[in-house]
Amino acid sequence: MTKNDVPGLAEKALSSAERHGRSLKVANQKLAELVASLRDQKQRLVEYSQSAAPPEAGGKVEAPMDSGPTERTLAAELALAREALQQHQQKQDRLRDHLAEIESENRRLCDDYVAVQEQNAALVGLYAAIERLHGALDRNEVFTAIQEIVVNVVGSEELALFDLTPDGRRLAPAHTFGIDADRLKEIAVGSGAVGRAAVEGRVYVAGEDGAKAFPEDPHLTACIPLKLGDRVTGALAIYRLLDHKPALTDFDRELFALLERHAALALHFRPPERPGAR
Amino acid sequence: MLCQGDAMHNEAEARMEGATSGQARSKPEWAGARKKVLLVDDSNTVLLMERTLLSRSYDVVCAKDGHEGVEKALAEKPDLILMDVVMPRMDGIEAVRRLRSDPETRHIPVIMVTTRGELGSVENCYESGCNDYVTKPFSAVELLAKVKSCLGD
Repeated sequence: MTKNDVPGLAEKALSSAERHGRSLKVANQKLAELVASLRDQKQRLVEYSQSAAPPEAGGKVEAPMDSGPTERTLAAELALAREALQQHQQKQDRLRDHLAEIESENRRLCDDYVAVQEQNAALVGLYAAIERLHGALDRNEVFTAIQEIVVNVVGSEELALFDLTPDGRRLAPAHTFGIDADRLKEIAVGSGAVGRAAVEGRVYVAGEDGAKAFPEDPHLTACIPLKLGDRVTGALAIYRLLDHKPALTDFDRELFALLERHAALALHFRPPERPGAR
Repeated sequence: MLCQGDAMHNEAEARMEGATSGQARSKPEWAGARKKVLLVDDSNTVLLMERTLLSRSYDVVCAKDGHEGVEKALAEKPDLILMDVVMPRMDGIEAVRRLRSDPETRHIPVIMVTTRGELGSVENCYESGCNDYVTKPFSAVELLAKVKSCLGD
């Protein structure tokens, strides 16, 4: 996914949600009309059956032997009424089946609507992250953007960003938030979770690969290598999650994949200012 | 204007306007009159997310801290305010207290959007006079549901 695709995808997801919303409204309106129609028919049938004479036992109405024209007419009318009632009942059954179908469709659309909303929310998060990273004007702004993303989108107020030293052998702290900066030292590439993320170029998440946590740093939740293509240029360590955030989600992992590439790219194009430069 | 004095964010807004122009900015035919939501947060990332989520259905105004939030609430008379808690100059708790003490703004519903999810913080939010709260990182579905509920949509 490129940066330019994300607003488009978000837009598509929004349009889709809007369409679903419209479909739901139309389906609900039809449903209400059907229910009203059923009630109306039922009422008419009740009135009709109350006004007509009840059929004899066995359901068959026979004219008496000495029935005159009036009795015969009544019997014929009753037969017609019973036929009409049967037709109405059949129609009512069909409508009831149709109603059940519509209700089922309605539930499916509701589920789809929620799924689209969740997908839309994820796209909005990814879009905001990319926009913030690449909209930054200098290195400090990139640091602020990464910090805001980790705090507000991932849900951790403890993070450290490391730069790979020019000799490629150590990771030096470049920016920290929520942790004692003095506690952090340079880390040898390959050492600990942060060093391993840098040498292997893959995201480390506590609790994955059988490890309950990183033994050398139990507060570490995830470590994301920052990569330009296949070349690692640094690492982002995320420590304790907020109390009300119990665990990382699938969306967090998507966000880590985005940070892996785009944070590195944003920092690459905004190198540190050399002392005395300008 | 998304956030005054913030060049980067204005550029982001311009792109957003472009991305959501035409059909996306027009009012859906089944919707009523567009309501106005004031977003108050010192994080551009949060403002961008909230704005992207809400701007299809609502007119959106932004402020970067509590002080600016109170000023914009008086000037813009929004139908709803989403308020961060920890902000420079004036925090969200104090901003809500001021809104509640002013006859012109005391009726405006406020949803607190905060990273502080512990009980004491939530109680502080309610004591200040907010109507509801959402913890960050927020679920967009939950946020939209609470916005709709507060606006009676």
